[in-house]
Amino acid sequence: MANEKEHGSGSVEPGDTSKRVGAEVIRERGVDPEELREKLIDAIGAEFTTYYYYTNLRMHLAGEEDYKEITEDARLEDRAHFELVVPRVYELEGSLPNDIRDFADRASCPDAEVPTPMDDSGGFDTEDLAVEDILEVLLEAERCAIRTWSEICDMTRGADPRTYDMAQRILNEEMDHEAWFIELLSKERDDEINPAGHFARGEPGDAPYTKNNPFNDSA
Amino acid sequence: MTQSSDDTWTVTIVVPEESSLDEAGETHEFAVSENETILAAARSAGVWLTADCQQGWCITCAARLVDGDVVHPNARRYDTEDREAGYVLICTAKPRADSTLVVEQYDEFLEFRAANNKPPGNSKLSD
Repeated sequence: MANEKEHGSGSVEPGDTSKRVGAEVIRERGVDPEELREKLIDAIGAEFTTYYYYTNLRMHLAGEEDYKEITEDARLEDRAHFELVVPRVYELEGSLPNDIRDFADRASCPDAEVPTPMDDSGGFDTEDLAVEDILEVLLEAERCAIRTWSEICDMTRGADPRTYDMAQRILNEEMDHEAWFIELLSKERDDEINPAGHFARGEPGDAPYTKNNPFNDSA
Repeated sequence: MTQSSDDTWTVTIVVPEESSLDEAGETHEFAVSENETILAAARSAGVWLTADCQQGWCITCAARLVDGDVVHPNARRYDTEDREAGYVLICTAKPRADSTLVVEQYDEFLEFRAANNKPPGNSKLSD
């Protein structure tokens, strides 16, 4: 029996804190952890801006209490997605941009603005704002998120189970959101019955897939 | 010109050798109707090209137009100088002539947008 305990070998020397095995194992499996990390920052930038924009969209669904409740679920769950993945960015040796404008500018999905013309000072006229137009903005925002997280699932499948697990959890909820807004828009705009297939959450922003193992209780 | 009666155009896609796609180094040709995006037609033809948002915003689907003409009626982030420089966002681009494009030009377009102080290039390459 050896007198000294042997550490496992690999591309990271024993005791070396300048590298992370958690990142190198991803690289060894064919995914560039830096490229993945940057894509994650773009994706959670979209979740964060969506959380902001949904706040405004929800406000303007005045008098449509059922629509407001559903939008609130989606809004809070998008925030939960941001909260879920932020630690992963740092694990992969990245960080959030210091300037929130940079964070918003690099978001991988379009700004989900209230669908009415803005003037030069950012003011907007809500006189002709239609509920169905808001629902369409919500729907297309969810569709963008589905595409984004599907790409991240593709990128990490078989190479980075930790990020893949997060992405597939988020994807589950984004698909719920799309189904909700398809149902609401179909009825509101076309008077068509197009069921989502499920009910609203038990509590606002339950996030049943992304908050069942939370990093903390604040999200 | 090979415009048919249903306004379908022939689009040729050149995938660069250095691309990480399985189709690297290949050239593919397929028909695209005037109401169809080049990305959708490519994927329908079995050519999987990179695209995230598919709303003309994230620019991951950027390409360079070598020949022909396309329009971007629904792109959310595509400016006059982008068009003048020959860049195309294939997720929202629809042909208006037989066209040839070099695809997978995200890095180049990101740098071009940064040089013009436009997002996401200016926010991602500013460090």
